[in-house]
Amino acid sequence: MLDSDVLTRLLVRALRHGGDYADVFCERRRSYAFRLQDGQIHDGATAIAQGVGVRVIVGESAGYAYSDDLSVEALMRAAEAASLIARSGAAQATGTIDLTTLQVAPLYDQSRHDHAPAARYVDLLERADRRARADDPRIVAVNAHVADELQDVWIATSEGRFVHDHRPMVTLGVQVVASAHGQRGSGYAADGGRIAIDYFDTHSPEELAADAARIAATNLDAEPAPAGEMEMVVGAGGGGVLLHEAVGHGLESDFNRRGTSLYSGRVGERVASELVTIYDDGNLREERGSITVDDEGIPGQHKVLVERGVLRGYMQDTLNARLMGAQPTGSGRRQSYRFLPQPRMCNTYMPSGESTPEEIIASTKRGLYAKSFAGGQVEISKGDFVFMVAEGYLIENGKITAPVRNATIVGNGPDAMTKVVAVGNDARFARRHYTCGKGGQHVPVGVGMPTVKISSITVGGTDDER
Amino acid sequence: MTNDDALEVATRAVDLAIEAGAEHAEASFSIAARFHVEARGAAVSKLERSTGSSMHVRLWRDRRHATVSTSDLTAQALRASFLGALDQLRYVAQDPYAELPDEFGAFTGDLALVDPTIVVREEAEKIEDALALERSIRAADPRIINSSGSHYSDANATIALANSAGFRGVYTASRASRSTGPVAEDHGAKRTAHYGTAGRVLHDLETPDAIGAVAARRAVEMFGARKPSTMRVPVIFERDVAAAVVDDIFSAVAASNVAVGNSWLADRVGERIGSHLVTIIDDGTLPARLGSAPFDGEGVPTRRTSVFENGVLRTFLYDSYYARKMGARTTGNSTGGAIGANNFYLVPGDGSLADLVAATRRGVLVLDTIGFATEHATGSYSRGARGFMIENGELAYPIDEFTVAGNFADMLAGVDAVANDLRFDGSTVSPSFRVAEMTISGN
Repeated sequence: MLDSDVLTRLLVRALRHGGDYADVFCERRRSYAFRLQDGQIHDGATAIAQGVGVRVIVGESAGYAYSDDLSVEALMRAAEAASLIARSGAAQATGTIDLTTLQVAPLYDQSRHDHAPAARYVDLLERADRRARADDPRIVAVNAHVADELQDVWIATSEGRFVHDHRPMVTLGVQVVASAHGQRGSGYAADGGRIAIDYFDTHSPEELAADAARIAATNLDAEPAPAGEMEMVVGAGGGGVLLHEAVGHGLESDFNRRGTSLYSGRVGERVASELVTIYDDGNLREERGSITVDDEGIPGQHKVLVERGVLRGYMQDTLNARLMGAQPTGSGRRQSYRFLPQPRMCNTYMPSGESTPEEIIASTKRGLYAKSFAGGQVEISKGDFVFMVAEGYLIENGKITAPVRNATIVGNGPDAMTKVVAVGNDARFARRHYTCGKGGQHVPVGVGMPTVKISSITVGGTDDER
Repeated sequence: MTNDDALEVATRAVDLAIEAGAEHAEASFSIAARFHVEARGAAVSKLERSTGSSMHVRLWRDRRHATVSTSDLTAQALRASFLGALDQLRYVAQDPYAELPDEFGAFTGDLALVDPTIVVREEAEKIEDALALERSIRAADPRIINSSGSHYSDANATIALANSAGFRGVYTASRASRSTGPVAEDHGAKRTAHYGTAGRVLHDLETPDAIGAVAARRAVEMFGARKPSTMRVPVIFERDVAAAVVDDIFSAVAASNVAVGNSWLADRVGERIGSHLVTIIDDGTLPARLGSAPFDGEGVPTRRTSVFENGVLRTFLYDSYYARKMGARTTGNSTGGAIGANNFYLVPGDGSLADLVAATRRGVLVLDTIGFATEHATGSYSRGARGFMIENGELAYPIDEFTVAGNFADMLAGVDAVANDLRFDGSTVSPSFRVAEMTISGN
């Protein structure tokens, strides 16, 4: 987007009042989308977001300024604004910066530079709509959306690194509402990833729509969730939200460098049952959270977060790694050029254990089977988390019985992880549609998990009569 | 950029869209100068200062509709985007309701959306605000030795809207906010809290000392918190938590959700939903409030709308598209493609939060919640929470790691006391209120 001469001048300007490090993040993002409602294509949307962010780091401090005006004058003003974090006064001669291009093997197709013909997207929505309505006359509303996004980032640093990444992202989502006898139930299913639209030639929209419709109908018939402490079995795939909230966020290095996380200073300590191993991986092919390089130009990595219950390491961006004497782990991510990078998760998952899912269910006397989660949130300093169950069932005497609606799980990260008493042999990734929010910034992530049993957790339903 | 310049950018985009082949077009252009400082301890940890703009264009042809958002404002790029959108229209269904609004205009009273003291405020003073917050939380209690950051931020924005029916509107607005996140430590245990404020008038904001005192108290008062037992009791929602509940109610009255089956309030206009204490207003014409503006996102004058009156649902909130589709009149709640709140608030009652607590024999005060996935289709509510157990009208002990759950219909019907502590620090706000009975899940 900018030539190396302009990038170099911006970096020199950014450091002219001093500073340990500077980088320039250039972004161009194009998206193409359609929405369906009431059985018809409701509208189309296109978007272009482009701009440049300049950052200067001085010790623990960061100065930042962005511009969506790409004229050299406007960009130099941004570099000047970012430079003012270093008010040591005396202007410094930074000398010259020689940018060297870093080549990294891509994790996704880099050759596609445009969306497919409109008819391809519209066809997916219409097929999903037909399928969602096919089985059950109680389906009263289907809303579907498809989006195809291409993001280009160019990162230049004062250390001389220059790198470009070209990141595709496709999402197809289907939301279904079922209604009967004055009750409603809703279901949602979505998939995609860093792929092209032809992914749905083999992962059919019908399959997604049928799932969303099934969940809506199940929730329509569901009883209110129980309230109180009980055993919980977390379903393979989407259950990975548990790892993301209960452990993952607490291992992001900004919280740990600042000492605000309950995991601060605990590398090497036991923080979970020894059945628990957790990885975060930016290197998985085509997953939502995969990044050939992160938003600071560091290649994505496979990180061991917890190994057999022992805390092994944090997810590092460059600022916090520098201050903690660690190496960056390719975890520096940002929503867009308008934001400073933060240490973030990529794809967080637990590998398979020994038990079969059938054994795990059969061993549960009274509990909740949380097949998938709609999302979750965590409080970092004490580790309390919640999850909203998207599809849940009671387990009674070793058997999955009635569906329950509106279950929320509340617990504490280390406490819940210590109570992991069985890990299934069926690890898999969830369908690709999760987005993580932190400090007002949203980035795509992946989660994965085998079937896991937690011996005791608080289920926050409304039915305390059981 | 002057108001005239901003309006010129929007008008030119409308002209380009028509030239490209749109029958009707509307362009909204905004440009904002934003400042943010974060302090930790005695140091500035982040300093951000930028000017950013955005352009949103809606195009119609043959009763079909598409949108373009772009930060590339060159004529060539705009033209290419518009041609792409017009191509998309070939696949969009004809929709008899898809067109520009029938009415345009602006509220003519003085909305006082700009505070000149924010516009000219010295950067050093802004930085001092953040540093003062850091000092105040640490002075408040010796157990506060860390923080996740103290913040001052402000923005000065110009918003221009033009359409092919001849509407031209432009206004400027300022805002500022202060917030802090103290971390208290006691024998290795950590507790955090967050508290802050925002508004259009700098002088009206709570001071750094006042904010720091509240935040510090909220962090340390949670030490020794227990997990409560599972029970059904009266629940008091403190105003910030209450505001989040009111925000969920906004989603359920937004016509865009009602129309697609995604609201538990669908088909219930005219019914008594809440107790007589539930009166909820949307008002875009309150002077100097964050949700105020002379016109909405499609050039319709803002107004005051009673959504619930003494518990009775009077109307949903509409933009012109959903108004036409559902046989109603727009309420001036368009964001230019979606439906948004102006100032959407529960009308306050008498007495303070302390009075509410004192009048509760046994119950739970909720001070903070986590979680967000409200099912608007079913109206079910469930959150992780922390707060206090109330016994004999007093705060007995702190509690955490529990959930508070119910459904919105029962919650609104069960509102049996509303406090007088409303503040307009956002566009969906509420005073503290009490619900007669909800489910607390714990041990």
